[in-house]
Amino acid sequence: MGEFQNRIRVSVIVAALVAVALVTLVADRRSLRHGVRDLPGWAGGLLDLAVPVQKMVAVPVDVLRDGWRHYLSLVDVHEENEVLRHELQDLRDDNLQLREALVASGRLERIAKMRESYEIPMLSAELVGVDVSPWFRSMLLDKGRRHGVRSGMPVISERGLAGLVTATAEAASRSMLLLDRQSAVDGTVQRSRARGLVRGLGGDLLEFAFVARGSDVRQGDVVISSGLDGVYPKGLLIGQIREVPAAESRLLVRAVLEPAVDFGRLEQVFVMLHRGPAMDLIFQHEGASQAAGEAP
Amino acid sequence: MRRVVALAAFAALLAMVQGVAAAYLPLGWCPDLGLLLVVGMGLCWRSTAGGVLVALLGGYAADLLSGTLLGQHALVRVVAYALARLFSAQIDLRSALPQMIWVALLAVTVAALLASTTTFFVPGAGFALPPLRALAVHALATGLAAPLVTGLTARLVTLLGSEEEARRQLHFEPRSFRT
Repeated sequence: MGEFQNRIRVSVIVAALVAVALVTLVADRRSLRHGVRDLPGWAGGLLDLAVPVQKMVAVPVDVLRDGWRHYLSLVDVHEENEVLRHELQDLRDDNLQLREALVASGRLERIAKMRESYEIPMLSAELVGVDVSPWFRSMLLDKGRRHGVRSGMPVISERGLAGLVTATAEAASRSMLLLDRQSAVDGTVQRSRARGLVRGLGGDLLEFAFVARGSDVRQGDVVISSGLDGVYPKGLLIGQIREVPAAESRLLVRAVLEPAVDFGRLEQVFVMLHRGPAMDLIFQHEGASQAAGEAP
Repeated sequence: MRRVVALAAFAALLAMVQGVAAAYLPLGWCPDLGLLLVVGMGLCWRSTAGGVLVALLGGYAADLLSGTLLGQHALVRVVAYALARLFSAQIDLRSALPQMIWVALLAVTVAALLASTTTFFVPGAGFALPPLRALAVHALATGLAAPLVTGLTARLVTLLGSEEEARRQLHFEPRSFRT
């Protein structure tokens, strides 16, 4: 009888806690608008706490890794210097010629104007950890609301687009990487201006889905953000087409895209301190709804 | 209660350590330490209420450090704890090899559960299992780390209990391979 009662008790406890987890899941899904949110105080507290703890855990690993890298880099440093010097000279020559050509055509002025119009303040942030589950691709950054970071802001690295801030705490934030299955960016092939959707596959590569008819997409093409999704600014480098399957009779072709950012070596990123118009609209609407709800 | 709080804090710490370790390792190579803690508790801790509560709280900590919805890992960890209790009563999971194999299978089940809950709760997210190679590597890494982490968990559970409880505690120690 005691054993039976114990089994019933165990089943009830497990069922009750499964129900608690399910209720939280549904509540979180409802509070989440378009995959982004600002975390409440109690949840943000743990995220804030994770930053110093993860930095502390990473210290001995970093010391070992940096020591090894320095040792390796010293081995061929002289030879590498010579090669780099030659490359630099070549690039200087190329740069000079290109500038001359641009000035001649009057495009330099237009590019300068365009850059001014896209000048967005950026905040440097350090990556302190990645997703605890390998099936979701996100990263924890050491900058949060206190530093001006808000959910829905794009995150880039010096190589290109890296992701989007999806949750913020006071001193930390979480960002979904382009590689995540839930990530989607409206992209354009730089050469042919063919448009498509860049989606994460969960692994280390991306997918560029485009309509087969009338689209000119080839292996080696560079894909940039189109800006039409209203989330990411236009012109951010996303990656390079690695493989284009034959269209045959398919309407939609899914090309394999290699991201420009090496996510395995990502250490420092930049948060663009400006939400896209779509994100801004969502948050303004939410703010207005909350204000209306709070009003007596 | 003291043990629940301490183990929940340990579960949160493990999630943070895992977040750092995963940043330095290729995709899938980092074992699921939180899951192993839950399995360890399921195998050695007699208090079901305590074990399942720690599994839930540890799951919430993992959710905050992950791109999942709040409650997704919590749900999966509670299920994993229940499975560990259930299977440990049926088969001998205290020997190293059966434990490694069972945990590897559990890691695959957990991945499938996370994919299923994502499909169900996130609109527009179709069901897709993680890349197979990464899944296999992750299951293998988690399985290989199982005897060590579950053994440590057992020691921790005993250590955190009162002296009297510790004496009553079922002696748990993963055995080495039998030749």
